[in-house]
Amino acid sequence: MEVSVEMEEAAKIAHEMRLRRDKRARNGRILKHIFLIGVSCVMLYPLFWLLASSFKPENEIFGSLTLWPSEFRFDNYTEGWNALPQSFTLFYVNSAIVTALSVIGNLISCSFAAYAFARLSFTGRRFLFALMMMTLMIPYHVVLIPQYVQFLRLGWVDTYLPLVVPRFLASDAFFIFLMVQFFRQLPRELDEAAMIDGCSPFKIYRAIILPLSLPAMGTAAIFSLIWVWEDFLAPLIYLNDIKSYTVPLALRLFLDQEGKSAYGQMFAMSVLSLVPVVIFFVLFQKLIVRGIATSGMK
Amino acid sequence: MKRFFARNAPAYVFLLPWLVGFFLLALGPILASLYLSFTRYDMVSDPRWIGLGNYEYMFTRDRRFWKALDVTFTYVVLAVPARLIVALGVAMLLDRGLRTIGLYRAIFYLPSLLGASIAIAILWRQLFAEDGVVNQVLALVGIQGAAWITDPDTSLYTLVILAMWQFGSPMLIFLAGLRGIPRDLYEAAEIDGTPRWRQFTRITLPLLAPVIFFNLVLQTIEAFKTFSSAFIISNGTGAPADSLLFYTVYLFNEAFKFFRMGYASALAWVLLVIIAIFTAIAFFTSKYWVHYENERD
Amino acid sequence: MTKLRRRALLGAIGAATAAAAFPMPVIAADRSIRHYWWGNPERDKRTFAVIDTFQKKNPGIEVSGETIGWGDYWTKMATQTAGRNMADLVQMDYRFLFEYVHRGALKPLDEFAGKNLMIADFDQGPLDGGKVDGKLYALNIGSNSQVMVHNTRAFQEASVDVDLINWTWDDFSKACEAITSKSGGKMKGSDDLSLMIEAFEAWVRQNGREFYGPDGKVTATAKDVSGWWQFWADLRKADVVRDKNKTVILDPPIAESGVPVGDTAMSHFWSNQLVGIQAVSKDKIGAAMIPHKPGGKPGQFIKPSMFLSLTRDAKDTETAIAYMNAWVNDPEITSILGLERGIPCSPKVRAALAPKLTEVEKLSVDYFDAIQSKVGPLPLPAPKGAGEVRDAFMRTGTDVVLGKMEVAEAAGMFIQDAQDIVDRAQ
Repeated sequence: MEVSVEMEEAAKIAHEMRLRRDKRARNGRILKHIFLIGVSCVMLYPLFWLLASSFKPENEIFGSLTLWPSEFRFDNYTEGWNALPQSFTLFYVNSAIVTALSVIGNLISCSFAAYAFARLSFTGRRFLFALMMMTLMIPYHVVLIPQYVQFLRLGWVDTYLPLVVPRFLASDAFFIFLMVQFFRQLPRELDEAAMIDGCSPFKIYRAIILPLSLPAMGTAAIFSLIWVWEDFLAPLIYLNDIKSYTVPLALRLFLDQEGKSAYGQMFAMSVLSLVPVVIFFVLFQKLIVRGIATSGMK
Repeated sequence: MKRFFARNAPAYVFLLPWLVGFFLLALGPILASLYLSFTRYDMVSDPRWIGLGNYEYMFTRDRRFWKALDVTFTYVVLAVPARLIVALGVAMLLDRGLRTIGLYRAIFYLPSLLGASIAIAILWRQLFAEDGVVNQVLALVGIQGAAWITDPDTSLYTLVILAMWQFGSPMLIFLAGLRGIPRDLYEAAEIDGTPRWRQFTRITLPLLAPVIFFNLVLQTIEAFKTFSSAFIISNGTGAPADSLLFYTVYLFNEAFKFFRMGYASALAWVLLVIIAIFTAIAFFTSKYWVHYENERD
Repeated sequence: MTKLRRRALLGAIGAATAAAAFPMPVIAADRSIRHYWWGNPERDKRTFAVIDTFQKKNPGIEVSGETIGWGDYWTKMATQTAGRNMADLVQMDYRFLFEYVHRGALKPLDEFAGKNLMIADFDQGPLDGGKVDGKLYALNIGSNSQVMVHNTRAFQEASVDVDLINWTWDDFSKACEAITSKSGGKMKGSDDLSLMIEAFEAWVRQNGREFYGPDGKVTATAKDVSGWWQFWADLRKADVVRDKNKTVILDPPIAESGVPVGDTAMSHFWSNQLVGIQAVSKDKIGAAMIPHKPGGKPGQFIKPSMFLSLTRDAKDTETAIAYMNAWVNDPEITSILGLERGIPCSPKVRAALAPKLTEVEKLSVDYFDAIQSKVGPLPLPAPKGAGEVRDAFMRTGTDVVLGKMEVAEAAGMFIQDAQDIVDRAQ
């Protein structure tokens, strides 16, 4: 009898504790939301500004501080799309080709190199790793000219090869280093067990490392896409023919420091250029979220 | 010999793309820039060997070189920790519990998408002008703000704020890292009644260390190389009064505006050495605070 | 250093092996040329239309047009120059002409003149703007001059009624006061030109000197500089020019200047920019000269706004020159181009264009005619390093404008810096 009273008592206390905890959690969630919404406003202000500017008449962009345009002009969009000697349709196709190839190249080649650096032991590992890190440190502008001369001699200038081929050769050490850090986190026992079962290193890479590193690969894919999509300097140097221009390069055709610029159209096209990236971002971040499932596997 | 081959072959097969890229495409231009740093090279005529002349001028006579170092170091010291703390804080807020998390994540990443575009330059000048939005907000709480972006004493801070505001990429990496921390660790800690703060220092920090390390190293390197934002906000000049004369902005102008590619190359190699020293320190100390799962190295 | 050694080193050690496997393709078909210019959407459309017209008239010649905005133009140009892969014809700017000529990147045009480049009847003055050391390195495809763009409504409302071609600095100060007080301080009289070295050069010439002497020495004096900065400091003190925090933003986009924004009644520009400024300004704009010094020499001058130059990497020079010739002579092509790049220096072309001008275009032509007798001769070519001197002027001037340095001290420092920069660049 006494026992059951104690049990009841305990259940009551537990219930109250749970209630209190839930209440605390709910309050916490609400506070969190308020905070995040506040931060979101600060984060989004510039985007609203950009969006508003893209509808404004040219002379309102600089003069006034108000967000709301005095009149909405959609012709920045309609005219901007065809304002250049080639239509933006072509620039989008070009950008899509370069970006798709580059992202694929980056993911494959960088994860290869990262797997070697992170999971395999070999002679010269530290030295090669240091060399790789060095490529991150040199300011790009001073290798621009020797690199141009090199691609010129290969006959690659005015093609997409200088933009795409290096990415299949793991030219971006950022991604190698990123993946190395994530690969090193995975438990060693997995490889060892697989090795004892007679799995080849390639099988381990494909069947163990990659599936367990989806958050990292998703992150790399997102960055890679965004950076290539927005990349401007390499296309500027290597592409001559306007028919091969990518979107960021085309955006630079709107501005003339010395003469007549078209800011409204440039802003309108800038807004549109963000659309594919945002869509990709929303789709791919699922990959990062899916990481929860995989972490349960250990 | 055979054993040596067997031990190394798989790794080198995986490294092959990188090896080809590095030795056939990347190394040549890097060595060429090292060579050019010992020459006078205006990009039109042939380079002329001048030995250590560029380095000598840099360290003994070039006032703007020191100014550029000063600006860049100040920026690195302020912007890197600020950005990382914001990114980690937001990532932890977003990591758990909220259903709308995807939306916030996208929103918080948006500023980083805008990058260092011309729109950002125009906007930043308007925001931080004497009659700009920032001062209007400050006026509400009775503070009279300065002309932040055109005052040489404060302009650098507006770029630090820009760096903090574009915290998207370290945030995303932190998030990916947080995903890798097993949930049950926190649940166990919760049952033990471990306070949140202790959960952070005992579980989150140690397990996130490799990712923190990555972000720290990369953000430091990137901060030293900051170019686009400073270039575009100062219209390429480092103005006002050289207060935004970031090292790479100076380097770029020396190279492409004033036709001194040789000197610019020397500047680049000095920066490389500086960054390498900092990175080496980070790697060296990482032995003491970054531990990898089950790794015997 | 021999060319061979430079190539071996520059051409990247690794690439040499790869290059053997990929022989250089023959890029240029026999009769194809490349034309590279900086532009904007309007200019690009016109230029591609010119290329189409030229190709139609000259079957078998292929012209590939390459364009990018001003800000990126020079980076790409330098890279192509270093790679010995310049376009056959490039658009040149007055500021950069000497830098490229002195280093040997351009070919002189004299041998073609009169043979396949018909420029005999062109205005000699503007044409001479493309000469360096007596040789013609750049063909003028449009002239311009400095202009004080002003808001005509503000001038009317403040009843400023002076002869804007012949006015003096004193008139200018008075106009600033009148406009500022009329608008109750909302609209200041003028942008603050303290950092505008081009306007300062006119000031130096009014004092009877050139900025650079014949041997490339800086001949402007510290007194010239301090006089200039003091003049604007006084106007700042009287609060009749634009806020100092707007002034220290260097090389802002046109649309951020005072007249387009509407917070001042005068801004400094170049005459070929008038169309662009009107497009972003609410009120009707007018054109005034830089004010004069009573009894002083003429300060302003007419200079080429843009050139077309033949580069050292041009292979088919004959085709390139044929294209160049069509650019400045062919009636169909010149009518496509209009005044977009500046005022053409062929009287025939000008006459043909005259009936078809828009209102703003007419403003620039009228202004141009009005100043003809008021301008001085073209200054000597600037020495190497002039671009850097320009930056130094803006940098030191910023300290003056912000009140962080005394005028006299800053002026002395600038002249010293300027000489050091020029010496180092030689």
